[in-house]
Amino acid sequence: MSRLIDTGLEQLTSMVFRMGELAHKTVSLSLNGYIEGTNAYEEVQSLSEMLITIADEAENKAFELIARFQPVASDLRILKSYMKITYDFARYGRYALDVSQIARLGGLKQCEDWIRQSIREMSEKVLGMVRTSVNSLKSHDTNLARALSETEKQVDSMYFEYLNRLVEKAPATNRCTISSVLVVRYLERIADHATYIGESIIYLATGEKVTLR
Amino acid sequence: MANYKIRKIKDRFMCILVWLALLMALIPLFSILGEVVLKGASSINVNFLTQPTPTVGEAGGGVANAMQGTVLAVGLASLIGVPIGLMSGIFLSEYSETKLSPAVRFFNDVLNGFPSIVIGIFGYTIIVLSIGFSVMAAAFALAIIMIPIVTRTTEEALKLVPATVREAAIALGVPRWKTIVSVVLSGAKKGIATGILLSLARIAGESAPVLVTMGYWRWWFAGLDKPVANLALNIYIFAISPFENWQTLAWGSALVLVTLILGISVIVRIFTQEKY
Amino acid sequence: MFSPYKFEIESLNAWFGSKHVLKNINMKIKEKAVTAVIGPSGCGKTTFIRCLNRMHEIVPGAKVSGRVLFNGIDIYNEDVDPVQIRRKMGMVFQKPNPFPMMSIYDNVAAGLKLNGIKDKEKLDSVVERSLKLAILWDEVKDDLNKSGASLSGGQQQRLCIARALAVEPEVMLMDEPCSALDPIATAKIETLIRMLAEDYTVVIVTHNMQQAARVSDFTAFLYLGELIEFGPTKEIFENPKSELTEKYITGEFG
Repeated sequence: MSRLIDTGLEQLTSMVFRMGELAHKTVSLSLNGYIEGTNAYEEVQSLSEMLITIADEAENKAFELIARFQPVASDLRILKSYMKITYDFARYGRYALDVSQIARLGGLKQCEDWIRQSIREMSEKVLGMVRTSVNSLKSHDTNLARALSETEKQVDSMYFEYLNRLVEKAPATNRCTISSVLVVRYLERIADHATYIGESIIYLATGEKVTLR
Repeated sequence: MANYKIRKIKDRFMCILVWLALLMALIPLFSILGEVVLKGASSINVNFLTQPTPTVGEAGGGVANAMQGTVLAVGLASLIGVPIGLMSGIFLSEYSETKLSPAVRFFNDVLNGFPSIVIGIFGYTIIVLSIGFSVMAAAFALAIIMIPIVTRTTEEALKLVPATVREAAIALGVPRWKTIVSVVLSGAKKGIATGILLSLARIAGESAPVLVTMGYWRWWFAGLDKPVANLALNIYIFAISPFENWQTLAWGSALVLVTLILGISVIVRIFTQEKY
Repeated sequence: MFSPYKFEIESLNAWFGSKHVLKNINMKIKEKAVTAVIGPSGCGKTTFIRCLNRMHEIVPGAKVSGRVLFNGIDIYNEDVDPVQIRRKMGMVFQKPNPFPMMSIYDNVAAGLKLNGIKDKEKLDSVVERSLKLAILWDEVKDDLNKSGASLSGGQQQRLCIARALAVEPEVMLMDEPCSALDPIATAKIETLIRMLAEDYTVVIVTHNMQQAARVSDFTAFLYLGELIEFGPTKEIFENPKSELTEKYITGEFG
C-alpha cells in the first residue's frame, strides 16, 4: 500500500541519484582534462553549479517531507542520509572544479612520466570510489559501501607516497610540481567524501553509525 | 422536479395525519378533565373537604375521611412497594449478569400484567382471612400492584445512566455498591421519581382490590387492622348509587383525586429538578 | 525493596470469554516516566492498561492470568483488594466522562467524598490543588458550581484528570485521552502529561504515533495481543529492532 510520503520520497531519491551520476561525470571530466591537458573548465563549472542547485532543491524537498509527514524510523534515516549525501556529492563537484582551475595552469601534458603515471593511477582509483559510492547508493549495498574503507586507505598511502617521492626527487619548482601537489590533495579529499557517503549508506540501510576511515 | 413536488405533497399529507392523530389522542384526555372539573367544581367547598362520608339520606357530607384513607393506603403501600421495587430495579439493572436475573425479570413482567382484582383476592386470602377487612390488607394488595411498575421504571432509568459514569466511579476506587448508591442512583433520580409517581397514581385510583380487601367504610381511621374510607372506592359506590347528592359527591371526589395526583406530580417534579 | 520499576508485568494473559486478547506480556514500566502503548486497533492495548488497575475483570466473562507487580506486590494476589489498588491509580478514559449531575467542584471532590472525607477545608484545598495540576483552575475558578457537563471537551477531559489526581494516586493510566479532542486541547493535555511525569508514573494508550513519539519516554508496540517491541521512544522511532514495528510506525499497515 503506498503511503502519502512515498511520492515525495521517490522524487527526492531520483534527485539524489541524478546528482550522483552528475557528480561522477563532473569528476571524471575534470580529472581527464587535467591529465590530458585539455580545457574542461567551463563545462565543469556549469556542472558544478548544477550540482549545487540540485543539492539545494534536495534539501528543501527533504525538509518539506519532514514538516508534512513527520517521518520516523527508516524514512527518517533515509532523509538524514540523503541530506548528508547530497552535500558530499556537491563537494565532489567543488573539488572537481578546483582541479579544473588548477588544470588551467597547464595540466600534466608536459610533465615527467612518473608524475603522470602516479596521478593517473590515483585518479583511476578515486574515480572508481566515486563510481562505487553512486552504485552502492542506488542499490543500498552495504558491502560495496564497506569496501570503500579499504580503497580509501590505499588512496591515503598513495597520497603520502607521492608527496614523499616529490620531496625525494626534489624537482625544480615548476608547473607540474605545484599543480600535482594541489591535485593529489583534492583527490584525497574526494576519496574522504566517498567514505562519508559509504557511512551514510550503511546508516540508511541498517541504522548503524560507523566510521569507514 | 415533478418528483420533488410529489414528495412535498406526501410530506404535507403525512404531517396532517400525524396532527390529526395527536388531536384524537388529546381529545379524550381533555374531555375527561373538563368534565370532571365542570361537574365536580360545584361540590368543592370547605364543608366538602372537612366532612366525612354521609349516610343514606343525609345531606351534605364530604370526602375528608376518604382523603385520609386514600393517603393512608397509598402511603402504607409505598412503604412496602417502593423499597422492594427500587431494590429489584437496581438488581435487574446493575447485576444483570447473575443467573437469577432473567427469572426475576420474567416474573416481574408477569406480575405487571396481573388483573388487579386477582391481586385483591390474593390480599383477601392472605390478610383478610386472618385479620379482617383492613387498611393493612388494602395496602398489601396495592403494594403488590405497585412493585412491578417501580421495578421496571427504576431499571429503565438506571439503564439510561451511561456505563462510562459507572466506570469512572469504579476507577476512582469506589466499591461497587457505593457506586450504585452515590453516583448511578443520583444520575437516574428523575426517571426513578417519575416511575414511583406513576405507580402512586395507579394505585390511588384502584377500586377493585380495595373493595375486596377493605370494603366500603364511611368512618375515620380506626386502626391499621380496621378499614377506612377510600376516594376511589367512594367514587365507585356513589356513582352507581341512585341518590343525586351522592352522585354529585362522586364528581367532587373524582376532582379531589385528580387534583391530589396532580399535586404529587408537581411536588416530585420540583424536588427532582436538575440544577442545570 | 527498591526498584526503579513501578510495574513489573510477568506472563500477563487476558481473555474476553474464549477470545485470547493478551498473550504472555512481559514488561517493566519505569516509575515517574511516560510509557506509551501503541498498536493497531484490536491489538489489546486498552485491555492491557485495564489489567493494570484490575478494571478488565469487572466485565462479565473477562479473565486474567499472570502477575502484575505494583510496588513489588502482585496485585492479582488473592489477598489484594482491587478497590484499594484502584485508589492508587487514576484512570482517564477516551471520552471525557465527568459525573453528569455534579458541579465542577463536586466532580473533583467525588473521589474523596465517596471515601468519607467531609472536612470542607480539606476538600477545598484538594479541589484547588487538583484543578491547578490539571491546568484548569484559572479557567473555572470563578464558578466551581457550574455543571461539569457545561465545559468544552478539552476542559471536561482536564476535569476528569483533576478528578483522578484528587485522590493522590501514584500512577495515571490514560486510555486514548485525546481521541475526542481538537488539536489545541490535545496539545494542552500533552503538555500536562509531560508535567505529570515528574511526580507520577504515566501509562498512555494512543493510536496516534506522533503523539506517542512526542509525549513518551518509553514505547511499547503491541500487535494481536503480543508485545512486539519495548524500548526508549527515541530508539523505537529512529531505529526499531523489529521489522513489524518498523512497518507499523512508518505507516505500511495498521
